[in-house]
Amino acid sequence: MRKLGIASIILAVVTFFVACEKNETVVVETVTSSTINSLPADTIVGVSNGQPVGIGKFSFFSIESNSVIASADSNSKKWDIGLRGTTIITNAGTSGPGTGGAFVFKGTFDELKTISPDSTFKVDNAPTSYAIPTGSNKGWYVLDFVTNLLSPIPGRVLVIKTANGKFAKIEILNYYKGGTTPAANATDAEKSSRQRFYTFRFAYQSNGSKSF
Amino acid sequence: MRATIFIFFLLIVSATRSQQNSDSLLLKTMEEVVVTATRSPRLLANVAIPASVISAKTIYQSGSLRLNDILSEQTGIIITDNFGKGIQMQGLSSEYTLILLNGEPLIGRTGGVFDLSRVSIRGIKKIEVIKGPSSSLYGSEAMGGVINIITDQSGLKKTDLNIRYGRFNTMDGSIEIGRKIQKMDIQFFSNYNKSEGYSLKPNALQKTVEPFQRFTNQLSFSQPIGERWKLQMMARQNHIFINNTIAVQNGGNTIVSKGFEKNNEYNLNPSIQYNNKGKLTSAFRGYFTGFTGLQELQVKDALGGYDDQFKQRFSRLENQTDWQIRNNSSLAVGVGQILESVQSNRYDSMSTKRKNSVAYFFLQHEEKFTDKLTFIGGFRYDANKAYASVFSPKAAMQYKFSDKLSFNISYGKGFKAPDFRQLYLNFTNLAAGAYSVFGTEVARDEVRRLSNQNLIEQTTSMFNALSILKPEVSGGINMGSRFKLPYGVDASINFFRNDISNMIVTDVIAFKKSGGQIFGYFNLKRALTQGVEVEGAKKIGKNISIKSGYQYLYTADKEVLGSIKKGDVFQRDLQSGLASRMGVSNYGGLPFRSKHNANVKLTHEMQSGFFSTLRILYRSRWGTYDIDGNGLINRSDEYANGFVQLNASMGYKYKGRWDIMSGIDNILNYKDLQNLPGNPGRVGYINFQIHF
Repeated sequence: MRKLGIASIILAVVTFFVACEKNETVVVETVTSSTINSLPADTIVGVSNGQPVGIGKFSFFSIESNSVIASADSNSKKWDIGLRGTTIITNAGTSGPGTGGAFVFKGTFDELKTISPDSTFKVDNAPTSYAIPTGSNKGWYVLDFVTNLLSPIPGRVLVIKTANGKFAKIEILNYYKGGTTPAANATDAEKSSRQRFYTFRFAYQSNGSKSF
Repeated sequence: MRATIFIFFLLIVSATRSQQNSDSLLLKTMEEVVVTATRSPRLLANVAIPASVISAKTIYQSGSLRLNDILSEQTGIIITDNFGKGIQMQGLSSEYTLILLNGEPLIGRTGGVFDLSRVSIRGIKKIEVIKGPSSSLYGSEAMGGVINIITDQSGLKKTDLNIRYGRFNTMDGSIEIGRKIQKMDIQFFSNYNKSEGYSLKPNALQKTVEPFQRFTNQLSFSQPIGERWKLQMMARQNHIFINNTIAVQNGGNTIVSKGFEKNNEYNLNPSIQYNNKGKLTSAFRGYFTGFTGLQELQVKDALGGYDDQFKQRFSRLENQTDWQIRNNSSLAVGVGQILESVQSNRYDSMSTKRKNSVAYFFLQHEEKFTDKLTFIGGFRYDANKAYASVFSPKAAMQYKFSDKLSFNISYGKGFKAPDFRQLYLNFTNLAAGAYSVFGTEVARDEVRRLSNQNLIEQTTSMFNALSILKPEVSGGINMGSRFKLPYGVDASINFFRNDISNMIVTDVIAFKKSGGQIFGYFNLKRALTQGVEVEGAKKIGKNISIKSGYQYLYTADKEVLGSIKKGDVFQRDLQSGLASRMGVSNYGGLPFRSKHNANVKLTHEMQSGFFSTLRILYRSRWGTYDIDGNGLINRSDEYANGFVQLNASMGYKYKGRWDIMSGIDNILNYKDLQNLPGNPGRVGYINFQIHF
């Protein structure tokens, strides 16, 4: 108990200093950060050929305006990313009329302070390739064949070029409704009905620079 | 709970009563003979590698029926629950442990696991446990250790009947007959074991363990011919029948399938032995064994079903010659040939027989330089047809400072040959994403065949890397000491480390147009297991003995460890969901390994024929599967809970003819449906034995 007490005092002190430091230095006004909870992405509506399916439509999201965009606007530059099941598209190439793109950065969200000048943004070329690769253990997620549960790979940051050519970074936190993964022994029905809900955080640099 | 208190009470009462005449009697174990360690009889105290013996008496007093029951109570041994009851020793899993019956290997593994519950341990003489690699003597699979079940072949006159009844309508009946007819020793043993099975989930359609029946029959003869020759024969037959009801949920509908599983096994072990007054002994042994597994499942109201057939044969001819060169120097030389075949519809059709043959030679020299210093060196060479050949050396040394202190060190190489699954598997799972797994020998052809049918999207760089599989190999070092402490405590300590390389894992070789992945087998992984094992034993008074053991274990995948050190591995926090870089201290090592494993065993025996035992077993948490997406065990929710199990038994021998005993396993009723499906909770039983 005593150890715990000392630990919490140390923690409190550290938190205080960290908090102070933040107030003094950072907060560039042009960077907005936000967390989106349980954004549905073509949720399961039935079973076809033994495979659970949704209606097949992307959910569009504007990073610039921090809002969900109607699917009627799919052929516009209003949206920056589209989510459908495990597939994530960006507004460029075969996906949309924008000048978007993306690549997957290996590291933590906070470590990515500046997008390196020699990094290249890829563009969707559906259905063969996507800027953010699809498939288990290839892009942002891994699927456990035993439990049939999907987890975002930790240490993967999606670096996004918005429809208007500005920059953002996204960390996907969870793929299930409520932001928590079902237990391994949960029923198939639960695993199926709760999946395809994105919880993610992002930081957006509105001044066009590559720094966050 | 009441039973435990009662037993504790008994122990305390008799402990206080016998305090006056307490002396430091040696526990008998060190005076026992062990054959598995060097392939010739040696006193346990003189063996330079970690070895232990479990006696028939211990097995009886623990109320153990099957091999997994008694092994689960040994220090450093964990019983796993995947494809039956598997063994884990020195952190190495079941596929790396060799199970012998009278020195001959038992076959028939599923997913590399030998199901220990197949083996009845009624009517046996003892079980020998050797830890660390022994491939220099036994060849493939003897990497983590060797378990040798030794049956009674003495021909000692007896007719014993044993009947036991326990929870879940578990019945076990066996008869054991021993006779000497003129000079011939005959032993017969028969066992019947059945259970209704149980369900850990209330109202579930599918039982956790399905009802089963098992039969074992065993017959052995031994006939001396003249002064120097002896003819021996052992025949064993084992049959298992399991009722299967499988309920699968598919899109909200529950589909119930009914079926069965049937295993048949036979072992035939003729031998001729020559013995010239112990100076020169030579044994010609034949061993023929077969294992057939059949699983059938009929889906209710549907035509389709599931049918799995597996047939394995193993034949071996061998000669081992032991030459006592001088009093303090001996040589053992062996040569043999193994023929092995497998037929299975898991690979292709039952009509295709996959074969392999192995020719081997081994040599072992034992030299006693002084009364204190003994050295053993040896090697074995296995030349194989289906995969690369292997050389397995071993060296061991013992130095006895005094009767109270000895020091052992040994180094050996172990190997495990690629199994038929890794060579020939041809498996496609249509349910889970239509992925396929192909054995190395068929992978190229299968991928090309699919490619010709225009079903392949692309092959990966690993496809070009497909090559002949090498055996998985390990180097193991064991260093320890046996010593006597004050107050009559016998103790031992052993440090071990196993470095395993060429481990066979699957990797993606191609993607199908349908999105499914195709996996092949590769010698890719390197791992390490290391730890320390401590055991102590003490006799209190005349009637009570206490034995206790502890194992600390550390395991790691070496590639993963390297990546963590480089800072390439990340983890996700359980609370915040945010990712961070993972440190080495968060890495939980290989899955299903517990860091701590301990036991305390109390036995109380009285002259009157009464005995009681209390065994406390502890296993700390172990990693199960990854949740946070990095493929590793690192977060607290990725572990199964550790637990304590309490087993107790007591019995009474009446007029030397009647034995009655009763016991309760898992008194605390610890259950974990997810991680310990093989543990039914508290089980009580009662056992009668009649010696005619």
